[in-house]
Amino acid sequence: MFVLSIGITALAQTSLKGRVIDETTQTPVVGAKVTLANQNISTTTNAAGEFSLLYLDATDEEVVIEADGYLAALELINLKADQANKMEDVALQQDIVVQAQDEILLNLTEEEMTDDEGRSQSQASSSSASTDVFNSNTSFAWSTARYRNRGYQSNAENYYIEGLNFRSAERGQFNYSAMGGLNDASRYKEVLNPIEATNFTFGGLGQSTNYLMGASRYAQGWKVGVAGTNRNYKARVNATYSSGVLPNGWAFAAQLAYRFSPYIDNKGIIGEGIKYYSLGYFFTAERIWTDKRLKLITFGAPTERGQNAAVTQEVYDLTGSNNYNPYWGYQNGKVRNSRIVKSYDPTVIAAFEYNIDEQQKMKVAAGYHYSWYSNSALNFYNAPDPRPDYYRNLPSFMWDGQIANPNNETSAQQLFDDAGNHYPWGLFIGEDMKGNSLGSGFEDPMNPGAWVGPSVNKEQYMNLVNLWRNRDNKTTQIDWENIYASNYANNVNDPNASARYILERRHNDIQEANASFNYVNTQFEHLKMTLGVEGKFSQGIHYKTIDDLLGGNQWLDVDAFADRDIKELASNSGFTQADIANVRKNEIAGDYNQIVKADGRRFGYDYRINMGNLKAWFQNEWTFNEVDLYYALAFNYSSMQRTTNMLNGRAWYLTKVAEERAIGDGSMRYLYYGHNSYDAIKAAEANGTLKAGTTYTGDAHHFLDPAFKLGVNYKINGRNHLKLNAIAETRAPYARDAYISQRVHDRVVSNIYTHDQAKNLTEFYAASEKVASADLTYEFNYPIVRGRVTGFFTQSWNGTELNGYYDDEARTFVNQALTGIDKRYMGIEAAAAVKLGTYFTLTGVASVGDYRYTSDARAIQSAENGMPMTQDQSTKALVFETEDKVLLKGLKLSTGPQVNASLKLSFFHPKMWFADITVSYHDWNYLSVAPSRRMQGLYTGTRIDGTAVNGWFGDENTNAIQTTDGQLLRWDFDEAGNVVYQNAELDANGVPVLKYPFNVMTMQENIAATNPLNRFLIDASVGKLLYLPNRQSLSINLSVTNLTNNTHFKTGGYQQARLPRAVRQGELDYQNSIITANAWKYPSKYYYAWGVNFFLSVTYKF
Amino acid sequence: MKTSKYILYSVLCTFVLFLASCEPRGLQQEDVFISEDKVAELTADGQVYNLNDFLDQFMTEEGSFHSDTCPYRDRSYDATHGIYLYSVDTLPVNGPGIYIRGRITTDDYAGNFYKSMVIQQIVGGQQQNLRISVDLGSSAGMYQIGQEILIRCNGLAVGRYANQPQLCVPSYNNNIYAMNASQKVGWCPGRIQGSVFRGATRMIGTPDISKLQYDELTLTELYTQIKKQPTANATDMDAVRKMDGRLVRLKDVHFNGKYDDNGTLKNCDTTNPDTIGGGGANVFAPSTQNIGYPQSRLLQDQGSSTIMCSNSEYAKFAYFYLPGADKTGIAQCSNFEGTVTGILGWYLDKAETLKNSALTGYEWSVTPRGIPGIGAVNDIVMYYQGDESAPWVPKEYDPKDR
Repeated sequence: MFVLSIGITALAQTSLKGRVIDETTQTPVVGAKVTLANQNISTTTNAAGEFSLLYLDATDEEVVIEADGYLAALELINLKADQANKMEDVALQQDIVVQAQDEILLNLTEEEMTDDEGRSQSQASSSSASTDVFNSNTSFAWSTARYRNRGYQSNAENYYIEGLNFRSAERGQFNYSAMGGLNDASRYKEVLNPIEATNFTFGGLGQSTNYLMGASRYAQGWKVGVAGTNRNYKARVNATYSSGVLPNGWAFAAQLAYRFSPYIDNKGIIGEGIKYYSLGYFFTAERIWTDKRLKLITFGAPTERGQNAAVTQEVYDLTGSNNYNPYWGYQNGKVRNSRIVKSYDPTVIAAFEYNIDEQQKMKVAAGYHYSWYSNSALNFYNAPDPRPDYYRNLPSFMWDGQIANPNNETSAQQLFDDAGNHYPWGLFIGEDMKGNSLGSGFEDPMNPGAWVGPSVNKEQYMNLVNLWRNRDNKTTQIDWENIYASNYANNVNDPNASARYILERRHNDIQEANASFNYVNTQFEHLKMTLGVEGKFSQGIHYKTIDDLLGGNQWLDVDAFADRDIKELASNSGFTQADIANVRKNEIAGDYNQIVKADGRRFGYDYRINMGNLKAWFQNEWTFNEVDLYYALAFNYSSMQRTTNMLNGRAWYLTKVAEERAIGDGSMRYLYYGHNSYDAIKAAEANGTLKAGTTYTGDAHHFLDPAFKLGVNYKINGRNHLKLNAIAETRAPYARDAYISQRVHDRVVSNIYTHDQAKNLTEFYAASEKVASADLTYEFNYPIVRGRVTGFFTQSWNGTELNGYYDDEARTFVNQALTGIDKRYMGIEAAAAVKLGTYFTLTGVASVGDYRYTSDARAIQSAENGMPMTQDQSTKALVFETEDKVLLKGLKLSTGPQVNASLKLSFFHPKMWFADITVSYHDWNYLSVAPSRRMQGLYTGTRIDGTAVNGWFGDENTNAIQTTDGQLLRWDFDEAGNVVYQNAELDANGVPVLKYPFNVMTMQENIAATNPLNRFLIDASVGKLLYLPNRQSLSINLSVTNLTNNTHFKTGGYQQARLPRAVRQGELDYQNSIITANAWKYPSKYYYAWGVNFFLSVTYKF
Repeated sequence: MKTSKYILYSVLCTFVLFLASCEPRGLQQEDVFISEDKVAELTADGQVYNLNDFLDQFMTEEGSFHSDTCPYRDRSYDATHGIYLYSVDTLPVNGPGIYIRGRITTDDYAGNFYKSMVIQQIVGGQQQNLRISVDLGSSAGMYQIGQEILIRCNGLAVGRYANQPQLCVPSYNNNIYAMNASQKVGWCPGRIQGSVFRGATRMIGTPDISKLQYDELTLTELYTQIKKQPTANATDMDAVRKMDGRLVRLKDVHFNGKYDDNGTLKNCDTTNPDTIGGGGANVFAPSTQNIGYPQSRLLQDQGSSTIMCSNSEYAKFAYFYLPGADKTGIAQCSNFEGTVTGILGWYLDKAETLKNSALTGYEWSVTPRGIPGIGAVNDIVMYYQGDESAPWVPKEYDPKDR
């Protein structure tokens, strides 16, 4: 296709040239977008601020000039036929409001991306784009609500810097901490809507952003600023310098940004218990020749900051604050946070652009990036859980066993509230199992009018409630004093024993080297051809070290869960004691009493994931008077391979189990080491030459994913366009989701084949997610009003996801690998900006979507410590992996609110006053569902692998499944093999309805505030730009978010995976587990939007 | 030049501020363990009670939750003698401080004391002991053996569970999944919330195991003392109750190869290949498949006196062979004789037992603790036929021994 395009002749035509400059500094504005509104042709300005447009129609034309950080300008011009038309310099005025918002957004996104426990808040889409009415008015305004563009996860978006791919190959996310606080450095970017034609990469499902950091883009001169805020950091100082393009062709720019906050212990305020120190630096040099340019860029931001956590609603209520943070406590009277993130992402980039001729351009770039990212956490061994908000420390734990079971009580005893409130007020037993009346309980001070059951002792309950309400330090914060005392006491009793508590540091580093090549050819009329090749090698580096022994003498490196459960092996496996000792070890060639100190030595795990990516793509864009057309094709090769420097005892043990069982063809034995390392390890074992620290390489897994997209733009007239875009692609799983237990062994989720094992093409693609998407846009652009309406539809199939949780049935930490996840995203986006006279603009934007699962998923559960998941009750055979279906079909995706709308009134006075106020509404925001609570076996008593579920909803002792009157639940299979639930009442998704309160365990919650008024958020900002003599200026901006201090706005959360269970004693020769009615034992955890918060900045340019 | 100076100053300031990100200095021993002076200061608002005085002052026979309108456990009341096996009395939240202190004698590091501990106080050269029921898993990791602690008891409760006095909180048992569930319904001592207990306690000095006092005696001597305590009335029962939690070192005992199977004595079985899964295995505490009830093995002196050695399947030494029982089976057990150190106790949840046997039967038990060390059972010191050169060497169960 690319080759066929050659041969079309170029002709000289009507053209337009001009220059865009900064009104204050009179320096060129680089990268400004210049659009001819009637012809819908656009280009961007070069390093000198100049632009030129060729092949134009001779007509009256509106020239729209837009640039990041500036107010848009509109110029009228009459284009004369067959002439080189020339415009006067266009001077753009700075938009200090948007500049401040960009900074807030950058910071917000950086803070939310951190959670190494598999949970993170839904990240706000961070890129703002000034040229699209919808994007430019949603990226900041809806960021508080964690709006995600089209409901896609962040890994659908593409992030590039100067054409180099900087999205993590391991998790698919962009690491914003690399640019911490570097608002000026990251100001210039190209942001392209989903699916549309791109010029720096193939693009894809989500938005594509390319940060442009050439030195010539930055306005000449100094810019210094200070800012104060009540967010996680409290102040920022910032200095930026740009030389502009010097006569010798060089340009230099640099920025230093320091953001800080000392530890804050004012309980209840934003950022309580958090410290924040971040020093961002950025330096770029650019050499410009007539036909080429070379850019050298480096940046980084060493950062150290405390974290906070989602907690349950009960904890928020008890503390009376959405800002409660359980991660900190007092040490020597000073705040100390147990979760400290340390990050530093030094990055170097070199990019070379060469204009071969007027119609041909090429760009090559190469970069290297090392990301040190780690966070600290308390670890403990044979000692109490130190978390203050641990569920057993909360008043609600006193309810355990006191909640009425709707099945075991008579109707007269069912005191619960049919309204479905999430607190069990009125759910308490009023009579005990013998029919003794217990009285009426007492009114709960936290919820006036609500009653706590009579079987809870009021005095004891109130004592604990008051400790929480008064924010007692020992109750509500980490008790560092007791932690140190435990270790010191331990030293006295046994100086050689393992510390009871340590502060460990979990390192998730990544290093990546990448390169790209991009070639653009416009030598043929109507056609722009783009060809690109991208390559990247990434290495995820994962290990633990000790930050602080907290007074202990040393730490013994054994796996706590394996150590606890290992005795079971003696009775069940036939292993020798020597075998069993091995299982506990994190390095089987190491000593069982492996000692670790706070000296930087790695322990626990030490492995790497090597990932390769190679993408080749081309794109043809055709431009005609009435129709524009593009199509593009890409091939993306990727690979992953795990290497480990520690041979984990559980990997060794599972291999041994697989060997002894010799299931099927015996290939199971290779799963945990990989084919190559298996032989080497077995040989070393046989020779007695296993050596600690040896590197073992697992299997390499390869993927080849094609992608194709096309689009057409029908120009109804110059001001009204109709666009249709479509894409089909496959996406290999990210390493994070591919390895079942990557800290322990090499096993990957099913359907992933090593390159020499895939028998056919179907198997080769078996693990990739398949995606098809299309959108249709109507776009209008008039002097008074402009905007667009877009409808989109996306379907994905065969997604992969990995979860980890404590399983009360297996009584250990379990990894759950989900495959075969199908999802659908569809909805409408609309935006319109209307000019109201000289000073005001009214902008309305809305997005209504429906993002949901369209299939059930297949899940495989296995214990992280390698222990059996269950035991066949008849044969007594151990079952190490269970397989079941997860009933996800019909549930909503938890990727932010699915209904969003806002209205913004902007004010601009020519004397450089700026102000705006935005009212936003968000709804249909769904909680992330725990798959462990929706396993099919919980409704049938049997998993799809045939194993029995110990404690299920239909169990005669739980009997939670709602059946039609007088009927017993029965289940069977239909002809297609699907489970049919007979006599059960089914919900809209075909899943049996559970009786209240059991339904709280499985229902999906809409976390939008109960009161519709609380679904609104109001933001406002005001700014003033003062021109000073000698091209100096001073700008002041105040941005206030959540102006009405709405403290009822949940931004996200997740259902805890654990199900409340009790042991039924005595009747069987194994532990008989029952799901109890106490749905509030492991309630959901939530994130709330910050209350009213501000950002005040003052910037001086000279 | 001027600009450069400003930049230099800015960089210096930034550097200084970055250094400010350091964490607070680590706590030293003197920061976390309090002195006697501090004890006096902390307890100035109230009174520090001896453990026995504390029980006498605050623990009543019926408990404050027992009344006609408040249901109570079925089988816990001996109407003949007016004795209640279960009771709970709450202690006021406000008012003068109520303090107790004692040194921890238990160590659930070995997994043998689940969410409970015993403290010991020496008064007039004699032991006084009190159980504490606290909802902290692996509590011995924080409250270590030999550690003296000060407890502010305001807001907590004192009561008896199966006739064992303890510091606790009131809890209503309506566990429909329990064995004999309907007989166990009612108020009873419950576990103190972990965070509440942490807030109520302070560590006095560092642990010192050498300060623990042991009553070293034979089974005959023990039962002589017990039998001196008639159990026919509530007053005398009080003295028996105060023997609970006593730290004893039983001399001249051996395992006789029998175990208690729900009230019936049986011989341990070494022939069953599924021995670990069965109650009669020749180890300290065979698996109950996580049902969780304690396992007992009978200790006997050279005469006919016996006492239960009670252990949990979660104990680190649960799957260790009884002395002499490895390979050769239980027949060799009697060849190993020595001392067993542990906490004296019993389980008595039926008032009928009081009427019939007056607490002299198999209810008594001693629970070894296993002082820190991997798999340690150093509370049991035995020798082959009394030969101190031939000590019992603990050996973990190994299927290959079958």
